[in-house]
Amino acid sequence: MGRDQWRAALRNPVGAVAAGLLVVLAILAVVAPILWGDAAEETDPAALSQGSTSEHPLGTDALGRDIMLRVLVATRYSLGLALLATAICVVAGVLLGVLPAVLGRRAGRLVTAAVNLAVAFPGLLLALFFAVIFGVGARGAVLAIGLAGAPSFARLVQTNVAAVAGRDYVAAARVAGVGRFRLVARHLLPNIGEPLVVNATVMAGTALLAFAGLSFLGLGVQPPAYDWGRLLGEGLDRIYINPAAALAPGVAVVVAGLAFTLLGESIAQVVGVRAVRRRRPPAADEPAAALARAAAEPDAVLVADDLRVGFPAPGGGWTHPVDGVGLTVRRGETVGIVGESGSGKSLTALAVAQLAPDSAHVTAQRLEVAGVAPLGRADAEVRELLGTKVAMVFQDPMTSFNPSMRVGRQLAEVTRVHERQGRRAALARAVDRLRTVRVPAPERRAHQYPHEFSGGMRQRAMIAMGLMSTPELIIADEPTTALDVTVQRQVLRLLEDVQAETGAAVVLISHDIAVVGQLCERVVVMYAGRVVEELPVGRLGAAAHPYTRALLASVPDLATDRDRPLATIPGRPPDPADRPEGCAFAPRCEFADDACRVRPGLAAVAPDQRAACWHPRTQPLDLALDAVPGGSCDTDRRWGAEGPPEPSVQGVGRLERVRDPLHDPTSDRGAGGQA
Amino acid sequence: MRELSFEGTTVRFGTGRSALTAVDGVDLTVPAGSVVGLVGESGSGKSTLAKAAVGLVPTTGGEIRLDGAPLRTSRDRRKLQLVFQDPHASLDPRMTIGESIAEALPGRRRRAARTAEVARLLELVGLDPARARSLPSGLSGGQRQRVALARALAAEPEVVLADEITSALDVSVQGSVLNLVRDLQRQLGLTMLFISHNLSVVRYVSDVIAVMYLGRIVEAGPADAVLSAPRHPYTRTLLDAAPAFGVALDDPVPADDPRLDAEAPSPHDPPPGCRFHRRCPIGPLTRPERTICAETDPQPGAADRPHRAACHFATDLMEVPAP
Ligand SMILES: Nc1ncnc2c1ncn2[C@@H]1O[C@H](COP(=O)(O)OP(=O)(O)O)[C@@H](O)[C@H]1O
Ligand code: SF4
Ligand code: SF4
Ligand SMILES: [Mg+2]
Repeated sequence: MGRDQWRAALRNPVGAVAAGLLVVLAILAVVAPILWGDAAEETDPAALSQGSTSEHPLGTDALGRDIMLRVLVATRYSLGLALLATAICVVAGVLLGVLPAVLGRRAGRLVTAAVNLAVAFPGLLLALFFAVIFGVGARGAVLAIGLAGAPSFARLVQTNVAAVAGRDYVAAARVAGVGRFRLVARHLLPNIGEPLVVNATVMAGTALLAFAGLSFLGLGVQPPAYDWGRLLGEGLDRIYINPAAALAPGVAVVVAGLAFTLLGESIAQVVGVRAVRRRRPPAADEPAAALARAAAEPDAVLVADDLRVGFPAPGGGWTHPVDGVGLTVRRGETVGIVGESGSGKSLTALAVAQLAPDSAHVTAQRLEVAGVAPLGRADAEVRELLGTKVAMVFQDPMTSFNPSMRVGRQLAEVTRVHERQGRRAALARAVDRLRTVRVPAPERRAHQYPHEFSGGMRQRAMIAMGLMSTPELIIADEPTTALDVTVQRQVLRLLEDVQAETGAAVVLISHDIAVVGQLCERVVVMYAGRVVEELPVGRLGAAAHPYTRALLASVPDLATDRDRPLATIPGRPPDPADRPEGCAFAPRCEFADDACRVRPGLAAVAPDQRAACWHPRTQPLDLALDAVPGGSCDTDRRWGAEGPPEPSVQGVGRLERVRDPLHDPTSDRGAGGQA
Repeated sequence: MRELSFEGTTVRFGTGRSALTAVDGVDLTVPAGSVVGLVGESGSGKSTLAKAAVGLVPTTGGEIRLDGAPLRTSRDRRKLQLVFQDPHASLDPRMTIGESIAEALPGRRRRAARTAEVARLLELVGLDPARARSLPSGLSGGQRQRVALARALAAEPEVVLADEITSALDVSVQGSVLNLVRDLQRQLGLTMLFISHNLSVVRYVSDVIAVMYLGRIVEAGPADAVLSAPRHPYTRTLLDAAPAFGVALDDPVPADDPRLDAEAPSPHDPPPGCRFHRRCPIGPLTRPERTICAETDPQPGAADRPHRAACHFATDLMEVPAP
């Protein structure tokens, strides 16, 4: 836990109050016995069992001792015992908790089972049991409370250790020959420190209360020693004569217990869910122009002009990972967006689909998606308008499916929400769409959960979900990055077919320019939150921007010369908070000169091709475009004299026709509801 | 550097219905000083094979040897070092990169000697030795992967196993890591098992290529030979599917045949006979007369076929004429 996080925990008002209280208690624990220790023992035969007087504000006990002083002095003993019990609990818990990691598989499992059994045993019962074993008294109570808490602490440690032990860096250390004990000390414990600190703090509060309970019952501290619990017990005997005698120690217990627990909770909050701080965007950034309505470019499905996505920066102010993107996608077009990770590709897509995170601030000179200007409208309205017109396909469909809902129902949900179809009809349509994207045995598959699907199958299902209505724009964000080449090819072909059949526009985001080149007609290259080049796929060999050219050159293919080093791009993309003034690529560009201190805008370098560079390259690139020996075009040769086996009917089977529900009487849509 | 060999290596996970054989009798030799590239789809058992070698998963059968001597103790296994796929997960976030590297140094050394060695290793992988004191969070993915390589080299390994070490990286960074791997290999004469699902990447660094499918090696041979004259239909399918410039998706390849299964079968329940037969473009689903494929496992006898191909029809293909 970093220093900042501690500070954040203390900045939280609850945390600050709790910490303040604990400081006061700590000071009392140190000084009270020194200042008033003797006075609290002084018996005053003249003032036995008194109520509140000016001399004894909280009265006296049966021997005439001042109750206020005794409560104050008892702070040290009460806190000390609670902390001691906590320490025992933590030490025993950590030892038991890491044991499975140190021991072999079998012995480890035994320890885990034993701990689980102990956790199931009621804590108080355990404490009473130990109190009997260790004898009645402070020592027995400390051991009892400490050991009673140990199993649940041990389990906490075990779960956390197990989670960390599965990480690659632990495996790496193991492979490097790091011993078991060092592994625990260096890699496991430090990385689970946070939950442990939180729980130990909360545990201290619990121990304090438990201790008060035991002493109150006479099982804890024995006279002449006294703690809050014992004072409480004594006071309670005379509660009708002097209520303060019982209340004061009671309040002390509750306040101290709460202080520990609340501090633990507020640390937990800071460590765990880092509260999203929403900051008001700067007024100047308000999207005045965003509502602008324009009818130009009638065949455009997506028009974005000067699209920006900002986040509150940690040090105040705003950073713009997407910083003025212009993008136009026409109906039926396939456009690829490429760029390194962090260049703002995904965020651009999310902003377009109105799915940017809550803390993001999206502005644009103009943004129109499927004829709708979503900026400045209410969320519900945007969802209503865009829900059926834009489909998203993500890299990891597992995160976009609800894991606890059958795939068929999730697909059906889409039409039920947007088109208010009947359940049966919606489900039938879901099955139909699953068949469309070539999910085998779609009726059976529709009844399965997402985790029962393979990666490629989930991706198909995701596309099928997009096809539940008739989207005008399909945005696919790295849809094949997690897939194998053979499956990747199928998913790309599926996208192509869907595009051809439905006439939807497709925006394909990928870090792999070769993938984009295969599917798309036009390529948009992004760097540091801006578009740096835009060109037809056919002109990739004539890319003008040094960044595009570097990207193209750095991908090895099946024809790359193995004796020459691969082309690389030195350095790394600038941090969004710290972009250079002029051309953002200048620090990595071999052609940079003084002119590049001024930011270049997109300018035409050829018909259909625009680049944001002061010194666009004109020499053609050697992409070996179709002379790849052993490349895909070499199918005939690869399958040898047998010749490539002809697919029975070319193309058919990739995608069964996506029927237009309006014109197809066999569509189930007519049966379910309004068309 | 020495030779690493797998002999009938088998790894099974789970019991009962959830049991699966992730690695099934793999025979593979990584000759001293050379790079063997292992390709295959995810789930084919590549990572499991590497983990079995370094002792992260127990083997159920077979032997793994270093220069003929079986690896038994963890001390033996330390001679093999594994570099992981995700450089963001493979470095302890709480240790400086210098500490992470130093931890892997064998034997006891004085502090000054350790520092000097860490500096040398960082230099070797192209990082500024002053970086030793920074935490991994301050490094980019490519830089972290260099640190991971330095840590593997710190253990003075005989063999380095690299598992998808560039697949979490941007293409622009991938190139520099591949260059580094190639340079290190030539400079130090490393023996290496280089795992990747990307054929172009494997081709760039490997002398020998082995193709894995559902837990088995289905073809292995010199890199050029395997790529230019593949003997197993699965290898050809992989080559057909690799994206390349100027190749349209529309051009159908044999694996697009709608009669074939689109995806690999579940490893819990591999098909009988040839494991590839439901996806094979020249198998029984397109040529019904080839019933042998669905009935007889082509693995026995593979050693006698070209490229040790696990295919009944590997020799039926005529020699491919030179272009
Ligand atoms: N610890 C494990 N328990 C059960 N199954 C596993 C475990 N690790 C891997 N597998 C399974 O073993 C098979 C091979 O996986 P893996 O070696 O990771 O393949 P690859 O590296 O080729 O992608 C997969 O089906 C995977 O799900
Ligand atoms: S503007 Fe200058 S620095 Fe930027 S890409 Fe062009 S030549 Fe390089
Ligand atoms: S054995 Fe038959 S099914 Fe298997 S790869 Fe060879 S031809 Fe295809
Ligand atoms: Mg793997």
